[in-house]
Amino acid sequence: MLTALVLLPVAAAVVVALIPSRRRELHLPVGIALSVLPLALAGYLFWAFQAEAGYQFAVDAVWYEPWGISWSLGVDGISLPLVLLTALLVPIALGASTAISKRTKEFVVYTLLLEAGMIGAFLALDLFLFFVFFEAILIPMYFIIGIWGGERRIYASVKFFIYTALGSALMLAAIIGLAFNYSEQFGTLSFALEDLMQVTLSGGTERWFFAAFALAFAIKVPLFPLHTWLPDAHVEAPTAGSVLLAGVLLKLGTYGLLRFNLSLFPEASVDAVPIMGVLAVIGIIYGALVAIVQPDLKKLVAYSSVSHLGFIVLGTFALTSGGLQGAVIQNVNHGLTTGALFLLVGMIYERRHTKEISEFGGLQKVMPVFAGFFLFMTFASIGLPGLNGFVGEFLVLVGSYATLPVLAIIAAFGVVLAAIYLLWAYERVFTGIPDKEENRVLLDLSPREIGLLAPLAALVLVLGLYPSVLLDKIAPSTESVLDHIESTTDYVTPEPGRLDDVYVAEEGDS
Amino acid sequence: MILTPEVSWLAILPDLVLALGAAAVLLVEVQWHPVTRVLAWVAGGSIAIAAGITVLQWLAASDAVAAGDLGSLTAFSGMILMDGFAIFGRLALLATTALGVAAGWQFFKDLGRRGAEGLALVLLATTGFSIMVASNNLVMLFLGLEVGSIALYVLAGLTREDRKADEAAIKYFLMGSFASAIFIYGVALMYAGTRQLTILGLGDFLSGFIVSSPGVILIGIGLIVVGLGFKVSAAPFHTWAPDVYQGAPAGIVGYMAGVAKIAGFAAISRILLTAVDDFEASFLPAIAGIAVLSMLLGSVLALVQSDVRRMLAYSGVAHAGFIMTGVVGTSTDGILFYLLAYAIQLVGAFAVVAAVSGSSGSGSALSEYRGLSRRSPVLAGSLTVLLLGMAGLPLTSGFVAKFGVFADAWFNGYEWLVIVAVLASVIAFAFYLRIIVIMYMEDDESALIEVPGVVRLVLGIAVVATLVWGIIPSSLLDVVADALPL
Repeated sequence: MLTALVLLPVAAAVVVALIPSRRRELHLPVGIALSVLPLALAGYLFWAFQAEAGYQFAVDAVWYEPWGISWSLGVDGISLPLVLLTALLVPIALGASTAISKRTKEFVVYTLLLEAGMIGAFLALDLFLFFVFFEAILIPMYFIIGIWGGERRIYASVKFFIYTALGSALMLAAIIGLAFNYSEQFGTLSFALEDLMQVTLSGGTERWFFAAFALAFAIKVPLFPLHTWLPDAHVEAPTAGSVLLAGVLLKLGTYGLLRFNLSLFPEASVDAVPIMGVLAVIGIIYGALVAIVQPDLKKLVAYSSVSHLGFIVLGTFALTSGGLQGAVIQNVNHGLTTGALFLLVGMIYERRHTKEISEFGGLQKVMPVFAGFFLFMTFASIGLPGLNGFVGEFLVLVGSYATLPVLAIIAAFGVVLAAIYLLWAYERVFTGIPDKEENRVLLDLSPREIGLLAPLAALVLVLGLYPSVLLDKIAPSTESVLDHIESTTDYVTPEPGRLDDVYVAEEGDS
Repeated sequence: MILTPEVSWLAILPDLVLALGAAAVLLVEVQWHPVTRVLAWVAGGSIAIAAGITVLQWLAASDAVAAGDLGSLTAFSGMILMDGFAIFGRLALLATTALGVAAGWQFFKDLGRRGAEGLALVLLATTGFSIMVASNNLVMLFLGLEVGSIALYVLAGLTREDRKADEAAIKYFLMGSFASAIFIYGVALMYAGTRQLTILGLGDFLSGFIVSSPGVILIGIGLIVVGLGFKVSAAPFHTWAPDVYQGAPAGIVGYMAGVAKIAGFAAISRILLTAVDDFEASFLPAIAGIAVLSMLLGSVLALVQSDVRRMLAYSGVAHAGFIMTGVVGTSTDGILFYLLAYAIQLVGAFAVVAAVSGSSGSGSALSEYRGLSRRSPVLAGSLTVLLLGMAGLPLTSGFVAKFGVFADAWFNGYEWLVIVAVLASVIAFAFYLRIIVIMYMEDDESALIEVPGVVRLVLGIAVVATLVWGIIPSSLLDVVADALPL
């Protein structure tokens, strides 16, 4: 079934590619309709998924025996939410792409191929296979930014490509190195995650490999100071590209750190906690500060991503139940809210052809529905209790307070800063009187646009009010990551760091 | 007393067929002055027959290996080898030749009556290189190398009116003969040091005896590597490549570069990894040095080119470095996979260059590719796949090839070389992307390009090969795994 989930978007891309060019009005609707199929399948997956540790629905087919590579897919509590998020965001991103006027067919094909690559990367349990997906994603994203992007699209797309390729190149070397160590210790070649987790590495080698993997993922996240490609890519990318970039692509980085770095190199991960934690917190604060001064709405949201993703990395390297769960659920939250914010920015850009905050003002009166959605997503992004952002950031902060109290306290200021830059932006764009002539005639959201935003808003509310619908499925998997670290190193999660303590704290607070 | 070597025509039948094919092309031309199409059928027919015979040899050879009858893998008193390595090398050469002739179809047609010369030279070049990959004797190998190289020099300058081509041919000839001289001097030193001329003999001798003067042998190895390094355009022996790639007729450059790389690297791997493998500890660091220099120099210099052909030439230098990484990994199957995958991508890429140049100008300047995705989606799409293949993106044969040679090098203890290599591949991404950017992201309203059917066929084969070997690597890896040298 997981194979089908990866191949469905590919099949959909083929179908769209086969529609003749003269029926161009069909490309986008067919693409959207077909992209609902993976969503349905992912929804079923979520429903059928048992809240247990370990990989479910696993598929394992030999790809090339002598190299020990296999088509090995599986889903656990860490990848499940991300798969669902991907499948959800693709139809929405396509639905938001009606403004794409040139080469629609190629656009839909690339987006669907991108979906296949992303789902594949989240599901892959073989490092070779993971690398294949991880790299293959670059090509469609590169074209999406480079063909349909803004004015500096070529610069942005090449920068995006080279940055990510650089990171993954060293990861490839480390993957080969891991397989080499495995073959020395076990006599056969294998790239399976489960096998490679059993490799014992000398301290130095493990650190090098950790660094190579961490570099690849830190660029993707992006972690300060490797974030410079992100604002360019976001600002130039078309709306659908931004939504998928922020919603899903960046999650490959945080997912990779959690799935591969922590499991493959537990010793080095424990040692790296201070470094990664400090970088994450710098990212939180720096991203927020830069966001405050952005004159461009889209750049503001892009820098807010840097800040929010810092929370996820902090939670991951807090190495506590709360931190890990918070990281996973924050992955989803950020995908929903930032994805929605990029959609909203795209919608206003389609109307006004500018993203400059100073060009707007008083939009609340002209576009009340738009303003309502924007405010809602702003609150979710800030972490207002009752909405999803609160759950994730709260878990991360509580989780990291147990191990990294100083950093957790500093990171908490990031929440305050988020309130500043988002609400200030809201104030400048939406409140007051619409003094510019162009702003007075803007149309409010169409039913199609509301239809795109409504599911995201609904999920923001559901996850905010009843997070255990997701947390229950996540928890066993994150617990097993911690178990693995505790059993392979002399790391002991400090009190209160493990599951029971956090739940008590959470309930006590709410 | 002079011993007459035993003669077994079967072993060199593919080469004979090619040589006879070349003669037939010329004779048919002289006798009947047919249209070029007829000549192409004669040439194509001889390639097909040669390939068919090679496949039969392959089957016979694997039976022999299965039966443990290794003696039947040598012929002409051990002058010619018919091991899997040689047979695969031959097949790779024939495949490259077939695609190359098809890709250069327009070139041969435009040559008019000289088209026959062109086709005959192609067949002769392949004959020479085919002897080269199958020879066990270093002098024999040299003969094959010269037959092949001299045919290529002439091919480069076949369009006499084109001064750039003349310059390219002269440069290629001078540098190439110089390299050949260095090679044969290396062979002489090897003989002086060991009294052995055969590759297998050298291997037995060096592992069986303690050599009193290893210095001579090491110098001999060095000279052989330098000579062959010229042929495969490894840095720092690459300086001829950009001019030749740029000046020689576009239709045939892909073929020339492809077969030269296959034959050159087959010879390098056979000599280094089976004849003098006892000196590995001494020469592998030097090979690694050549690899690093080629990868970095090739990638960086390709980055600053504004001419697609020169870019492909420098990328060829970088690829020589990557294949050298495979030599450092001392595993021939990775090298063979890389060679075939790359040669086919190269022929395909130059087929696109030739098609672009057919419509406007030389097909060299990067600006001629502006908006190619509009003017010819077939050309742009194929070139994109082929370039991504050369760049080594996953799901293409280039990735499997790179992964193979990198893994071999790592497993042989050259971790640092792999790290340099992956970084060089990232630099290489940048210039492959430049071409793709120009084709897809910049618009140009010039005329559409008509792509002849035969070029479509070549591109189709090259693209399918690139993707299939990338997605189902076992389809070629299983084959090269059997293609072991004796």
